[in-house]
Formats: sequence, structure tokens, C-alpha cells
Amino acid sequence: MSVEIDTRPLWIILALKSLRPIFFLLLAILFWYFIKMPSPEGLTAAGQNAIAVFLICLILWVSNMIPLAITSIFAIILVPLLGILTKKETYSLFGNEAVFFILGAFILAGAVMHSGLSNRIALNVIKRYGYSPKRLLLCVFLLAAALSFFMSEHAVAAMLFPMLLELAKSLKLRPGKSNYGKFLFHALSWGCIVGGVATFLGGARVPLAMGILKETTGETIGFLDYTVAVLPLVFILLAVGFMILTVLYPIDVAGVDNAGEVIAKRLKELGKVSFSEYAVGMVLLLTIVGWISLGRTLGLAAVALGSVVILFVLRIVRWKDVEDYVNWGIILMYGGAITLGSALDKSGAAAWLIKGVIGRWSGAPWTIFALVSLLTIFLTEAMSHAAVIAVLLPVVIGMAGKMSVDPVVMTYSVATPAGLAFMLPMSTPANGIAVSSNYITVRDMIKGGLIMAIISWVLFNLMAAFYWPLIGFGRLR
Amino acid sequence: MLPQNTPANVACSELFTEVSPYAVKKEDGRYIITDGTGSVPVSLVPRPKYYGLKTSTGIPFSKISAFHGSYTVITPSPRCDFFDRGIECRYCAGNFDVKDSGGRVYSVEEVLETVDAILKEGASGIIYLSTGFSQAPDGGIEFLKPYIKAIKKHHNCLVAVETLPPKEDRWIDETYAIGADSVLYNLEIFDKELFEFLCPGREKLIGRRRYMDALERAARIFPNGTVASHLIVGLEPPGSTCMGIDFLTGIGVVPILPIYRPSTGRALRIEPLTTEIIIPVYKHLYRAVKKNRINFNWVRDLSMVTTPLEVRGLVDERDGTKKSIVENFYKSKIGLKTAWGLSTLRRKLRVKDSRDPSDSSGQS
Ligand code: SF4
Repeated sequence: MSVEIDTRPLWIILALKSLRPIFFLLLAILFWYFIKMPSPEGLTAAGQNAIAVFLICLILWVSNMIPLAITSIFAIILVPLLGILTKKETYSLFGNEAVFFILGAFILAGAVMHSGLSNRIALNVIKRYGYSPKRLLLCVFLLAAALSFFMSEHAVAAMLFPMLLELAKSLKLRPGKSNYGKFLFHALSWGCIVGGVATFLGGARVPLAMGILKETTGETIGFLDYTVAVLPLVFILLAVGFMILTVLYPIDVAGVDNAGEVIAKRLKELGKVSFSEYAVGMVLLLTIVGWISLGRTLGLAAVALGSVVILFVLRIVRWKDVEDYVNWGIILMYGGAITLGSALDKSGAAAWLIKGVIGRWSGAPWTIFALVSLLTIFLTEAMSHAAVIAVLLPVVIGMAGKMSVDPVVMTYSVATPAGLAFMLPMSTPANGIAVSSNYITVRDMIKGGLIMAIISWVLFNLMAAFYWPLIGFGRLR
Repeated sequence: MLPQNTPANVACSELFTEVSPYAVKKEDGRYIITDGTGSVPVSLVPRPKYYGLKTSTGIPFSKISAFHGSYTVITPSPRCDFFDRGIECRYCAGNFDVKDSGGRVYSVEEVLETVDAILKEGASGIIYLSTGFSQAPDGGIEFLKPYIKAIKKHHNCLVAVETLPPKEDRWIDETYAIGADSVLYNLEIFDKELFEFLCPGREKLIGRRRYMDALERAARIFPNGTVASHLIVGLEPPGSTCMGIDFLTGIGVVPILPIYRPSTGRALRIEPLTTEIIIPVYKHLYRAVKKNRINFNWVRDLSMVTTPLEVRGLVDERDGTKKSIVENFYKSKIGLKTAWGLSTLRRKLRVKDSRDPSDSSGQS
């Protein structure tokens, strides 16, 4: 048992404990108020309910008063109950591809960890870079980003996760407490997120945005054009992100030099690479190749789950070896979050929010650009990247036509920020996977994520204003 | 001097009692203690009925437990490894020297049956679990854990625990978390040199400093007045005992003062102190505990030793031998239940299991 004794004065503890029922009572009143107040113009009753459910869930997710997964389950109950979606639709959304991708990623990670391969890689990484804890973090951060240039950021997070978990264990970092642990898993998720916006290959959202652009205007953006336009942002964000993490989580480990002997001993104990390590390593390699080559056609989830099936067909792992590694809490949370995102979309709440915000505040083209990118960054925290693009981009392209703004430029204002979801574990699988390590809490993620989201937005707009004209692109001003 | 109805263990058979001026006598069907000039009426604590019963495995309850009035001592493993190494405390009566008998460890079921019998009869309301010395870094609490948990699971009674100070503070936290209501790490001797000389095993394997640090930590975790430590009166100069009292009360620990009783057959020969020398130490004890606002009501009525409440009569202006309503309440059955309830509630509020999902990131 791992116990902690709260030594604060008893009256403080009692007061804090009594806050819990008060919190839920206030939440219930707030929720009642949201769904009972007169609907604003243009918003359907279902849309209003969807926004109310979303706000309540957001408060519960952020406050962590109940486990994340239970909040998601609560959302799944409320959505059909309030008539936002039908029961059938609600429950079927839970079977979303992203949910199954995460499930596959956990099983693959479990197989890698159980085989001992991740342990071996982690020990070798510490041996090689461990003499400087900062260097090790930089290495993880840049590795996650660089890999996300060429393959799905989700896949990169899933691939590096078991290795980092093993690394954290080897360094005896305390989950939820260790600054180094927080830094390490932020480096994973932020590296994947920032790297993921650099090219078309980081995820499905940019190709989806291109598809919508081509369908509505006939125009398109080339692979190289896109990368040249966003690459400076990626490099600056990587530098800024690393600096922010250094300030937020000062390194609290004194290197691992003196652990050298222990590491050497543990490596010796591992012996030579076993058959199961080779086998799991091969399957993992094939999975990565599959993600790069077949990810677009088959889908990432199908590739991951296909690899899982291969692992079991070849009897490389048994179910009981991996079931402990499957974090059902995160899977449930993700399923609920997707349901909620769809509820916002299908009820018309998202479109109403977009029109309301853009319509009210937009004036000059650059303000539209700034507003759209800001709205995208915040919407992408609550909805899947692809859903944000699907909801926002057609409206934005339509407005661009009316205001004589280049629709290609406006496509960037949605496609790039849609990938910059730093704040919540339900925003993107990379965040969910990082939080599932238990080294980062939701509050940690919001704290750093909010700073990163604001900086990303500012830098993105500065880049559009000053860098794009230099490369002869953009007609904003 | 003692408050009404205070149980006291009176030595009768040891050699040193032969020169005692006091005697217990029966007069007109009543017992008195007399020194020849005056007398005080006393009554004998009746032998509990459960002493005549046995566990389902055939062990007499009287062998597993020692009844001391308001509390009963149970020592599931009556052995102390110091004896095997020849580093036992020089004043030790040797009850835990079980090299010859093999040192039978009583099972959780046997101990639970004993506690059932004690509580059913209403003999005592507090169960006092103790261990001898084992080399485990937890000080013996891991060994006692299943016993504490079983007693707490089946009975609403208070449990006091006497172990050695564990090597790390987390074991102290765990001692509280698993259900101990009171804890004792017995320093016995405050003077540094005498501690080293008289307690070679404790000095070598634990160290006096660790006793002090562990007591300080325990006093921060346990309720006020439930952490205690013995200081044996008569094994060191009275001034040194007083310094020990000041140190312990200063960190929130209740000093308990047993009187040194020379054991027959032991090499150590120190003459017991006279009443005139002991009384100022007792007065100092009461004043120090009062000054540091330590609760008197938990650690009291321990028949073998002297606790601050029992010496109040020496100092208090009002009649210290009369117990207040609150003191009498805590001795009653309902008072014990209230104490148990408050102790349990406090534990519920203070102990955070770090695996509790709503306290962590919310993941399984
Ligand atoms: S610790 Fe010392 S006093 Fe206690 S039983 Fe062992 S030798 Fe005796």
C-alpha cells in the first residue's frame, strides 16, 4: 500500500471534503440553468443541450472530481437523454476508429513491454544519453517531433510510450510528483503534436483540409508548399516548447551517472536479445511500415489491430501478458469525448459557435484569419482534429469568398492550428497516451498546454503576417 | 495519590520487594496497602474469566494475552532477536528470550479468538499489540499488520502498537493508516552514554537518534496524546529523565515512566530509587505534559507504568485524585466507543491512498 498522510489542520481537511458535495450541487444547478435558459438565436435546443453537456464535462475533466473515464460515461448517458443524438448514434460513435487505434496501441505497447524490448531500449538510451538528464529529454522531444514529420503523430506516441514508461521506472521517478517524469511525457506529447503539423504525413487532418479545399474551390496546396509555409513555426515551437517545459518542470534528477553500474548490471541480467524481443520488434517494425504505407488507405487502427492479431496468431504474447497494460480508463474517456465532439457537430452547436464568434468579431481579413485560427485551436481541444476541419473549413472558405480573401490562406488558418491541441488528454491520442502514464495530471496538461496554445496562436499569426509575404504567399493585408 | 479506580501492578514476588516498607494486607474482608503507620484501601482486580478458556487450537488465552485492566497486551511473537546475538538490553526481564522454547508465533486466528474473548467479557477496551526485536526495516509493523487489520475488521476497539522505530518514515505513516490508534517507540533511557551501555542492541541496530526522529514523525501523524515512549525511572539520574521528559513533550510525545524493577537472575544491579527522589520527576512529568498541551486521556491507566494523568494529584491545586467528567466519560463503554469513532473518522480524513483514482490523474 502506498499511503500519504495529510498533516494539514483537520478543519482544513474537513472544509475541503465538504466542498465536494457543494461542488456537485453547484454543477447540477449550473447544468439546469444552461439547459433551461431560453435558446439564443440560431441555436437549436439540441445544440444548447450539447453545449451544456460539453461545459459540464469540461469542468469535471478539468477538476478531476471523478475519474476521467466516468465523466465520459456520464456524457454518453446525457447525450441521448437530452435528445441531442439518438441512443443508437451515441453508442455507435463509441466504436470510432480513434478508440480502436488507442486500444491497439495499448496492446502493442503491452507486448513490447512484456517482451522486455522496451526495457532494453530504455536502458541503452539511458546508458548513452543519461549522463545529462536534459540531453535525454531533448533527445526524446526531437525524436518524437522528427518521427511525426513522416508518420502519424498518434503512431509515434504509441511507439515511444512503452520505452518512456520503462525509462521513467528505471529512473525511479514518482508518478504525478516527479518533475522529470512530467517533462518526459510532455516532451512525448508536445514533440508529437508540433512535429505532426510539419507535413501532410503527421495525420489525416491536412489531407482532409486539402480535400475540402479542392472540392469547394478547385484549388490545392502542394506537399512541399505546405511544409515550407509551416516549417519555421515548427522549429520555433520546438525551441519555445522545450524552454517552457524547462521553466515549468525544473529537472529534479541529478543525472544517472552513478546509476551506471546498476544499469550495466540490469542490462547484463537481460542477457542476449530473446526470441520474443526479436519477434515483437519485427511486428512493431512492420506496424510502423504499415502505418506509413497503408495508414491512409486501411486506417491506423486497422494496421495496429492487424499487428495485434499477428502477435496472438504467432503466440508471441498471451492475453494475460498484455491485459494489464490496456488502460481502459483512457479508452472510455476517449470514446466519450468523441461522442461529445460529434454531439456538438451534429446538433449544430459547433457551427453556431463558429458563426457567432466569427460573425461578431471579424472585420478586416487579418482579424478573420486571427479569429479563425484562435477558434480552431480551442475547438480542437474539445473535438477531433478531423471534426474541427470538417465543421469549420467549409464555413471559413465560404466567408473567404465573400470577403475576397484567398481561400488557400484561410485553409491554412484551420488546417495547421487544428493539429495544435496541447491542453486536454481527450484532444489527441498523443495527450491521452501521455496522461495514461500517470506522470502527468490533467491539470499539468492544461497548465503547460494553455501557455503553448496561446504562444502557438501568436506565432502562427506572426508567421502569416511576416514570413509568408517573404516567400510570396498569402494575400492577407 | 492515584486517582480513583486506577489499576496498578504491584510487585510482590521479586527479590527487591523484600526490603519494601509496604505490604498488601487483608483486613475485615477488605484489602489495604500499609507501611505500618497508615493504610490505603485497595481492591483486587478480579481475574478475567476468559483466562480460563482456550483457543480452538488448544492454547490458553492467558498465554497469548496479559490482562492489565483497561488494556490487554498481546504479543503474537514473543521473541526478541537481540538475545540470539547477545546484545539484549541489560535491564531486560528476559520475557522475550525464547531460545529454548522455540518462540511459538500465534496465528492471526488465535489472536482474533483471544480478542473476541476479551471484548465479549468486557475485560478491556484497548488491545495493545507488541513485538520484540526483529531486524526488518519496518520495525515489526509488517509482522503486526495482519493482526491489526483483522482486529480492526472484526471489532470496534482501540489498538495500541508497540514496535521498534522503523528505518523509514513511510512505515510510521503505514502504522497509522492500517488502523493503529496509538503507537509506542520506547526510548527507555534518554542519556546518550547510558543508552549505548544499557541498550547495546538498540544502539547498534537502530540508534538513539532514530528513536527521536521516529517519535517526532509519529507525533505529527497520530492524534495528540497517542504517541508515547517509556523512560525507565531509576536507570539514569533523575535529572536526565527530566531532560528526556522535556525533549519528548517538546515534540508532542507522552512520556511514560515505568520504574526500574531489578530482575532476579540478571547481572545488572542498580538499587531502585526512593520515593523522595521519584516524586519530583513525576511532578516534572505532569507539568511538562500540561505545558505542551498534550492530551492526557489516551495514554493512561497502564497498570505497569506511570502516566501523566496518574501523577496529577501531586501537583494539581484542585483534588487531582478526582477524575473529571470528561476523564470518566472516556473510561466508560460509551466513551471508548466515542474515542474509537473519532479516531476512525480522523484516520479517514487524514489517510490518502495514493492509488485512489480521484486523487490522481484519474487513470486506472
Ligand atoms: S528489546 Fe530489549 S527490552 Fe525489549 S525484549 Fe528485547 S532485549 Fe528485552
